[in-house]
Amino acid sequence: MKGDKILLKFILKRLGYTIFVLLGVSILSFGLLKLTPGSPARLMLSDDATEEQIKEKEIEMGLDKPLMTQYLSYMSGVVRGDLGDSLFYKMPNSKLIFQRLPATAYLTLVAMGIALLIGIPVGIIAGVKRGTAIDFTAMVFGLLGQSISGVVLGLIFILFFAVKLGWLPAMGYGGFEYVIMPATSLAMQMAALISRMLRSGMADVLQEDYITATYAKGISSKEINLKYALRNAILPVITIVGLQVGTFLGGAVVTEQIFGWPGIGTLTVQAIGLRDFPLVQSILLVISACFVLVNLLVDIIYTLVDPRMDFN
Amino acid sequence: MSRQELFRRMRKSNFFVIGAILVFLIIVISLLSPWIAPHNPTTSNLLLRLQAPDGFSKGWSGHILGTDPLGQDILSRLMVGSRVSLRISFTVVFATAMIGTVLGIVSGFFGGVADTVIMRFSDIQVSIPPMILAVAVMAVLGNNTTNLIIVLIFSRWVQYARVVRSNVMGIRNMEYIHASEVLGSSKARIMFTQILPNVLTQLIIVMSQEFGRTILTESSLSFLGLGVPAPAPSWGVMIADGREYLATAPWVIIAPGAALMIAVLAFNFLGDGVRDVLDPKNKN
Repeated sequence: MKGDKILLKFILKRLGYTIFVLLGVSILSFGLLKLTPGSPARLMLSDDATEEQIKEKEIEMGLDKPLMTQYLSYMSGVVRGDLGDSLFYKMPNSKLIFQRLPATAYLTLVAMGIALLIGIPVGIIAGVKRGTAIDFTAMVFGLLGQSISGVVLGLIFILFFAVKLGWLPAMGYGGFEYVIMPATSLAMQMAALISRMLRSGMADVLQEDYITATYAKGISSKEINLKYALRNAILPVITIVGLQVGTFLGGAVVTEQIFGWPGIGTLTVQAIGLRDFPLVQSILLVISACFVLVNLLVDIIYTLVDPRMDFN
Repeated sequence: MSRQELFRRMRKSNFFVIGAILVFLIIVISLLSPWIAPHNPTTSNLLLRLQAPDGFSKGWSGHILGTDPLGQDILSRLMVGSRVSLRISFTVVFATAMIGTVLGIVSGFFGGVADTVIMRFSDIQVSIPPMILAVAVMAVLGNNTTNLIIVLIFSRWVQYARVVRSNVMGIRNMEYIHASEVLGSSKARIMFTQILPNVLTQLIIVMSQEFGRTILTESSLSFLGLGVPAPAPSWGVMIADGREYLATAPWVIIAPGAALMIAVLAFNFLGDGVRDVLDPKNKN
């Protein structure tokens, strides 16, 4: 099968690209640690350590070697899953991160679900009813959603639904009632973006000749909207959702901080407070790797979904 | 597009009109804030801490939006704080646009190695979630306004470079560019006198969308304590400071939260308006 071969070639090419990007990210995050003021050896030892002890520790940590050698030994650890040790927790960074990853994954997945649930219907309706009052309302909603800070929205949610009404717990981690507020406040920006993109996509597709032709065949407009137009308009949305996962993960840092959610975001803020730079750097690397892999997945799904996609 | 046509479209776009008026008001208030703010934004008076908003019942001399945990007047802090947000977002947007445009033009015009290097670097750059990168870099460099501006520039240039590059590639092989080459114009001259004016529209569209986003990112970083350093009356810092008083004195965070939203909304309205006005596809 020729098509399969081309598809395989595309996926391999995309994989190669992913590896290249990951290497770049690793160099950047390695460089970030090198920017840290003061010697990491000094950070590891107690304050009253002598210069000699620091020198000794530096040699032990390989900090006297050339940068390239240091990077290579760092990378050889990374590919084996060794991200170094946290200065504060005195345990492997990888262990700390992977303990917290499920909570962040849970939060972002629920938030993504909420964003799609709000964004898709609003986008479809606004696109189909373009130029009407419904469309205008939806656009204002979209702009509002993009303009409100996740911080403010989160705090307002706590004020109303937890403090005033007492319906939901203000913070913490547990059953489904705990995830509703953080996920919704994280989802708003994405919901607004999806609805705006889908709206313009729908409106564009509905002006195409083949849609007019479908009308001429006597197919109902509901069927046209949902079956023909949506299928084409949703494709760019998939790509954008993939690209926005990064913004999402970044937003999660703030959201987790507000709601006391025990994920990567809270770990990051703690690590910064403790000046635990190796941990911060490992988080940067892991989060970026997740993001790159999500986009690889999105690209592959896209290729499988869109028959027009050429594999170059 | 003629000047008349431009003005006609501006008037016709609701988003543009509302956004432009709001942005203009915000800039005026922000510029005049040291003179028109009702109180000194950094004078604290612990006897007057956490006073509920007076509204206009006591006129301009009352605490119209209440006071914060240090007894400072919130409205005055908001007005002066807007200077911080606006200064950062204008600096970042213009600097990023400049850097991104130069890289985008070089990339699109020369192609080859320059293009590959710039674009591959941009691929790596966009693979790191901007907020995470900003948090990590601010943590390492230390939080002051200069570092914040550098981080924000560094995390957004790709946006511009890519838009400009694809536009440049579209006109790179046009006849007037070749004609200019034949006439002996230097490459730099062609890039900045022939190509730049042609990508300006797209550039302005991207820039107009970025102001609001930059203000939001800045306030989030300041909220985390990784942006504008604390004593400055920045909106993000005000929200962070008010957090413990959410239940007892909600105005302490609602006021800066609302200010932030109005400012970002104003810039986003303007951004959408600018796109409506300038985007040639948008004729209907």
